[in-house]
Amino acid sequence: MKLFFVSDLHGSEICWKKFLNAGAFYKADVVILGGDITGKAMVPIVQHADGTWAASLQDHLETLETQAEVEEFEKRVMNRGYYPLRVSDEEYRALQADPELVDKRFKEVMLEGTERWIAMAEDKLGGTGIRVIACPANDDMFEIDDLLTGARVVETGDEEHPIQLGELTMVSMGWTNPTPWHTFREADEPELARRIERALEAAEDPKRTIFNFHAPPYGSRLDTAPALKEDLSYVSGGQALRPVGSTSVREAIKDYQPLLSLHGHIHESKGAVRLGSTLALNPGSSYEEGILQAAIVDVDPRKQKVKNYLLVNG
Amino acid sequence: MAAIPEAPTLFLRKATGLVKGWSKFDAFLYSFMSVNFVTLGLFFSLSVLGFVPDGQVLPALLLSGVFMSFLVVTYAGLISVMPRAGGDYVWQSRVLGGGIGFVLAVTGWWFILWYWAPVYANILSVEVLQPLAAVLKLEGLSDFLANDNGLFLVIQFTVVLAAVLVALGMETYAKIQKVCFYIGMAALALMFLIMLFGSRSGFASAFNQEATNLFGASGDTYNRTLELAGGSQVVPDLGFTPFLGSTLLLVPFLAFWILYPNWGATLYGEVRGASDFRRVMVGMLQGLWITIAIAVAFILLAAKFFGWQWFNAANLGYWNTVYQTGEAAIPIWPFPPLLASFYFHSPLLSTIIVLAFGAWFLGWAGTLFLSSTRVIFAAAFDRILPERMADVSEHRHVPVWALILMLVPSLVVGALYAYTDNFATYILDAVLVIAVTFFGTAIAATILPFRKRHLYENSPIARYKVAGIPLISITGFVTAVFLGFNLWKWFQDDLYAVNNRDSLVFMGVMYGLAILIYLVARIYRRRQGIDLRAVHEEIPVE
Repeated sequence: MKLFFVSDLHGSEICWKKFLNAGAFYKADVVILGGDITGKAMVPIVQHADGTWAASLQDHLETLETQAEVEEFEKRVMNRGYYPLRVSDEEYRALQADPELVDKRFKEVMLEGTERWIAMAEDKLGGTGIRVIACPANDDMFEIDDLLTGARVVETGDEEHPIQLGELTMVSMGWTNPTPWHTFREADEPELARRIERALEAAEDPKRTIFNFHAPPYGSRLDTAPALKEDLSYVSGGQALRPVGSTSVREAIKDYQPLLSLHGHIHESKGAVRLGSTLALNPGSSYEEGILQAAIVDVDPRKQKVKNYLLVNG
Repeated sequence: MAAIPEAPTLFLRKATGLVKGWSKFDAFLYSFMSVNFVTLGLFFSLSVLGFVPDGQVLPALLLSGVFMSFLVVTYAGLISVMPRAGGDYVWQSRVLGGGIGFVLAVTGWWFILWYWAPVYANILSVEVLQPLAAVLKLEGLSDFLANDNGLFLVIQFTVVLAAVLVALGMETYAKIQKVCFYIGMAALALMFLIMLFGSRSGFASAFNQEATNLFGASGDTYNRTLELAGGSQVVPDLGFTPFLGSTLLLVPFLAFWILYPNWGATLYGEVRGASDFRRVMVGMLQGLWITIAIAVAFILLAAKFFGWQWFNAANLGYWNTVYQTGEAAIPIWPFPPLLASFYFHSPLLSTIIVLAFGAWFLGWAGTLFLSSTRVIFAAAFDRILPERMADVSEHRHVPVWALILMLVPSLVVGALYAYTDNFATYILDAVLVIAVTFFGTAIAATILPFRKRHLYENSPIARYKVAGIPLISITGFVTAVFLGFNLWKWFQDDLYAVNNRDSLVFMGVMYGLAILIYLVARIYRRRQGIDLRAVHEEIPVE
């Protein structure tokens, strides 16, 4: 069985399209998105009184005069993982003045975006035999869970809902240990340990179990991130690196020794390590550049072993 | 009703990874310490001007700086297009193919650094250990350092020091580097003050006294230095003529020192917009041009304080003794800070100045193995090297195998450097192989907008064009021409001592080894059912 695993697409439409094509491209049986599906930013496209639009992307102000130009701009915005937002002058000023209104619009565009992605998946992979799995993680608000659960082609899972991959069981957890950004699904280590314990109730045999835990194991080199100051600027220009993964995840891998452990969360910490007999992978993420970093894992369920793996930049 | 601001700003939500980027100072610091004026500039570039008797250093410096600026813009552009994935290996693999990327990256960022270990050690010896031994009159140590065993011991120490700095981790090393920067700059300022306010006659007198006191020389050692170098006109008096011609022959020597303002290219974090592109570019340009400004100030002060002909004669004398083509008036390299400190006849002050200048070495030494370990990790993740090569120790997170792959060959190459007659003369191989790697990156940058159109168009530099041609293609092309010129001169001209059979064999072995590793990996992985070509293949979008 060939698995194609990615994580942290953060709204990048070009990466989602590549993800949907990856099954056929790499001849994978299952494509899995391990969390952080939704984007981090909205880009306002403000309509002037004269009918033109003003918008800024990558520090560059653009004046858009035609509908086609606006649509082309929106495409570029979505490819970088941001949400375009057409607004009037008044709406833009209102958003600037009201953080709650910004939150509300964020929710709307994230839900719209997720719905659109689900529809694209159904168009592309419905009836192909390639399974597509997308699990929410710490950067995804809870409201997208219902959309994923209700999808026809896209499957999802969490601590309560394991996913059967033939003879293998994949247990998932999108929660992470605390980050400096206080995101949606964060918990302290004892709580994470309890959640993992609950997830493992569905797993019967370690050698037939795959972990899909968003947080990488602590100190595994899959969790190395630049140290940050309180104002979220880099310590020593980004050269100072620290492990920021979860100790509970690490303990769970070491104690349970699953066949395979899939992670994401720390974009810059791409890698593969062995923790005991378990192969743990983090494909990393370069979603903003439109590069789909991924892990292709060939698993033999009968022999209960990972035949081979490859980290790719698709 | 008031108009909205000119540029609508984006709205961010709480989400991981939203950090502030590099400060300009950080970008500057890594660039500045890599284009290291004291270690590389003084010892390997400004000391060899006598080998090009008709060349003018000031125009050569300016020309090199201008062309290196194109390299900086090219690298800043690539960082902007593929930031987190950064580095020559990934850029070349993505644009030119995985095999080319691997061969050029491992030769330039890994194998040739085996040769850089003795180069670093040599600098430690001539800029710190030998001056200290002289000032403290440790004759036994001076003699030991001057022989093969002494050099090999210093090589071993340097290799271990570089490994320890890697083991300490970047966070600790970055702090060490910052402290070294301040100490080194203070020491440099002190030397400049001495050179500015001291007189040439005062220096000549002080030099004669200290040459007698420390080295047992007799008579007018200052003038004897000139005589041993062949007279009073070793190089042209400072000026700008010829601006080109033989002046261009100096450029490949200067490249040994100023080719690396982009050394931190693999370290830059997530770059979001054009302002980050400008910040990275400006930081690297500052590192380059402040170094050049310091060099110009030094040259003018050296002309005033030491005497321009004397400065070059003293250096030429040193190299004549190294290559056994002549003799020098004093038995060690005329390290300018040591010479300047002679002015006060104080062993204590000389010791302090030499030690403080040692900060330039310490702040730079950690770079020896850091880039190599990153390339080894990347190649292991791409399954070209065995998985084990990316292992780190359980508790201290030391990249054990990567360090072994650096340490052991470095000691072998170090032994060849110390104990064979000619190996040390292939010094420019060290920069040549890196220049080939950069050349590959320059080619990749030139064709990037055409080979990887959507990647380029999705980047913040897509709107920078000149006459409709992408800026990165222009700067990449100019960089390739500049590097191509240097490569041509190195290969074609005996002056640089790299176009001989043994030097070419040494470099050929490195490229051959890289090709062999890649081919073996391709065949071995194919038998495992892994196609390495898939690593950098792009998935279709539609």
